[in-house]
Amino acid sequence: MTHTLHRRGSVEDLREDFVMLIMPARGFNLQGSEEKMRQIWGVISHYEGRLTNFGSPEIGNSHRTTMDNLKKATHRISHAVFKDRENVKACLKELKDRDFGISVVISGIHEETEKICIEVGLKPHTVEHSLGIHGKTEKLPDENALEITTMCGHALVSPNLVFHLVDELQAGRISHGEAARKLSTMCVCGIFNPYRAEKILRRLTMDV
Amino acid sequence: MKIDKDTCTGCGNCLPFCTVGAISLVDWEGTERGDVYQDLCVECGVCLRAEICPMDAIYRPDLGWPRLLREHFSNPTTQHPVTAIGGRGTEEIKTNDVTDRLKPGYAGVAVEMGRPGVGSTLRDLEKVSMALAKLGVGFEPENPVLALMVDQKTGKLKDEVLDERVLSAIIEFSVEMDRLKDVLLVLKEVSTRIDTVFSLDLASRVGEDGSIPTVRVAEECGFTPRPNTKTNVGLGRR
Repeated sequence: MTHTLHRRGSVEDLREDFVMLIMPARGFNLQGSEEKMRQIWGVISHYEGRLTNFGSPEIGNSHRTTMDNLKKATHRISHAVFKDRENVKACLKELKDRDFGISVVISGIHEETEKICIEVGLKPHTVEHSLGIHGKTEKLPDENALEITTMCGHALVSPNLVFHLVDELQAGRISHGEAARKLSTMCVCGIFNPYRAEKILRRLTMDV
Repeated sequence: MKIDKDTCTGCGNCLPFCTVGAISLVDWEGTERGDVYQDLCVECGVCLRAEICPMDAIYRPDLGWPRLLREHFSNPTTQHPVTAIGGRGTEEIKTNDVTDRLKPGYAGVAVEMGRPGVGSTLRDLEKVSMALAKLGVGFEPENPVLALMVDQKTGKLKDEVLDERVLSAIIEFSVEMDRLKDVLLVLKEVSTRIDTVFSLDLASRVGEDGSIPTVRVAEECGFTPRPNTKTNVGLGRR
């Protein structure tokens, strides 16, 4: 379940890709957390127009459910995807001020997430690094496809779908936004960043 | 997953959606029909959830043991019976500010077999778990891989599961910081003996001075930590 960790791409691209994950701990503060998790969606909803995706593996991503549904639903894990540090910071500050006592994890460029924590007045507790991909790396698709597919940590976005949509774009049968949404729909947790995917697709089709 | 060849019209819409390229068009009584290569299919369910088949010809057959493992590890919409959460892993560092699972002075290591998107047999996973077991690492008890082990001391898995293929399964453990170097060097060696890939995760508590002790050890072993990380910001409490 390190599904938000191994996103690929340049540092500049990744500056537009932050995932916030919120979950209670089984055996510790899970019991009785349902109402807090709903209230947390209330906080996240303040940023709805500035999120590129959101969701919960139990309920679905932003293409399949709504913020209102998530505010009412019983679920254990919440995800919100941001494309800029300032909104991550503002949301994190609000969560800190509300003091829900539920764990919050931010995935993104470390240089930025570290600064955000300091600016909000938080001392990071635990940090996880990706040490990359090892073994028979010749079995991987090309790096361009990986930049897109690794935005779903459960690998539910097929590289062949990326290549197919690039063909569709080049044939003019689909728009870049539609293609990015199609890819994003596959990621059930709602951690895929369609804003970033659209930019990568434009780069792949030389439409920049 | 399977495709009902009597219903399929051979349109091929489903082919690009398959996460592991297991769907192809085959000859069926003189016409083309979609076919799921069962050895390769990891039962992730993407082809079905995508609602891409105009004829509803894709279906999930009853999955018996041990094939059911493919779905448990590859389809995050199913709840894993061991962890009671979807997907392959545990809460790991996500709730560490509450659970204190990963303590100061320890490194958390996760070897994500088959990730990203290549998939792995459990036989390949066993190669890695057996190499690590020789170092005496203690595998994470809540990780579903542990339920497949015959013996944690050797890292050996049950014979009947070895040929099962999953999108990803995670070997997860923590180790004292002064033993991390040995672990990373073993992982480097065993990576040359597997027929797939793994993504490697390394976690630690943040020091009082903001330092992350695992980074230096990783670099000494020839690994380059990626610039993006996952940070538990410390807002959880019991």
